[in-house]
Amino acid sequence: MARLPFTNDIRTLRFLAGEMTQGDLGDQVGVTRQTIAAIEQGKYSPSLEVAFRIARVFGKPLETVFQWEDSKD
Amino acid sequence: MSFNEKIHWAAFVAIVSAFGWYFLSYPWQIVGRRAGVAAAADMLLPVTVIIIGAMSLTAAFFAIRAPKEAHLKDDERERTIHMRGTHLAYYPLVLGVWANLFAIFYQLSAAVHLNLLIATVVVAELVRVGSQLYFYRRGY
Repeated sequence: MARLPFTNDIRTLRFLAGEMTQGDLGDQVGVTRQTIAAIEQGKYSPSLEVAFRIARVFGKPLETVFQWEDSKD
Repeated sequence: MSFNEKIHWAAFVAIVSAFGWYFLSYPWQIVGRRAGVAAAADMLLPVTVIIIGAMSLTAAFFAIRAPKEAHLKDDERERTIHMRGTHLAYYPLVLGVWANLFAIFYQLSAAVHLNLLIATVVVAELVRVGSQLYFYRRGY
């Protein structure tokens, strides 16, 4: 499996949001816990809609949650 | 492991077991005769019962253990996994259809056609379920 060209800080943001679980985040975003786990581990590239929904849960802009890796251009 | 992934594992094991028994036990010495069709029909009945029974029991078991998971709608990742698995299964399905066309050209028996069709469906299903399990585990 090729690595995705971007990373994310979802795990850290969950921790800072009162140790929110993957299941809680999944419920708020409308995806399963397994999908949140896959996104966190860089195994799944979410749709733009889900990416925005995740950012909105944390009240952060999209680029704070997901960062493009310049070396992967 | 999600509810859908557990159901996929159950389907994979049920298909391998039931059709493994079918293809190992089928009386291949009569495949060229009319009796070959009747033998296939007789054996397909228990195979169908085993698969439907195993799937129903497994789904009920996991739904009772984790009702919330069982009632979750597929999310975008699961829908994509299903789509990719179905796409991959299309290729063995087409190959099987072509194999059956050639079997008609060579005027092989009805039981050969029947078994070729069953094998096509089984291989396509194994590719579909197997690839979906792979995508569930490894991402893509």
